Amino acid sequence: MGEYKSAQLDNVFNALCDPTRRAILARLTDSGARVTDIAADFPISLNSISKHIRMLERAGLLRRSVNGRDHVLSLNAEPLAEAAAWIERYRRFWEGRLAALDAYVTSNKRKRK
Amino acid sequence: MNAAVAPAAVVVRRTIAASAEDLFDAWLDPDALAVWMRPGGIKKTTAKLDARVGGRYEIVMQGDETYPHTGEYRVIDRPKRLVFTWISSGTEQHESLVTVDFLRAGKQTEVVVTHEQLPQTQRSSHTNGWTSALERLDEHYAN
Repeated sequence: MGEYKSAQLDNVFNALCDPTRRAILARLTDSGARVTDIAADFPISLNSISKHIRMLERAGLLRRSVNGRDHVLSLNAEPLAEAAAWIERYRRFWEGRLAALDAYVTSNKRKRK
Repeated sequence: MNAAVAPAAVVVRRTIAASAEDLFDAWLDPDALAVWMRPGGIKKTTAKLDARVGGRYEIVMQGDETYPHTGEYRVIDRPKRLVFTWISSGTEQHESLVTVDFLRAGKQTEVVVTHEQLPQTQRSSHTNGWTSALERLDEHYAN
């Protein structure tokens, strides 16, 4: 299983499977924020927030710029688009199959009548 | 750190004017499956099914290339629920899980497909090709 070109997408999905991390992304939708500001918004320790942020960074979902002592985070949505495209592909596959199942079963029923 | 299951899931539903039994059976009858499990660009689908819990299936979709799909039946609860694993080039040969629920809605049945544990991506062009081809097939079926 040496297929690691997809590791990035795994990181994205893993990053998104936690409500705190999704909330951090939502917080950054409109504008960037300092790590300390984000931490203040959540009732968990700065240490925990830092771990969540590192996971989001690993997934490529955050950009970090350092300005003196301030670390400012902003959203990078590009990896999300790839994940969405992947889900979309399977959604269309199953929609197509259910349409065909519908046609098959309902036309069979007509034949039997 | 545990290897968290990727939460990627696809849920698709469709209400069909048929009984849950007829719809359920169309998933486990290889001749039926060969007809409707045939996306655009696929000239022929063949299905070999061992329709019992723990039994395996092989669905081969043949187009310009051959796309084998394999898996194992986990739940067979006619006519309410069918659960099977799903392994294909589309899942990069990783095991994913498909649950099909058949919900009675008066004389109709709502079929709900939940495809989850989709762990990896597949960026090959043939899958993208499928997408457009699927749409053509739908037009063809939807007379």
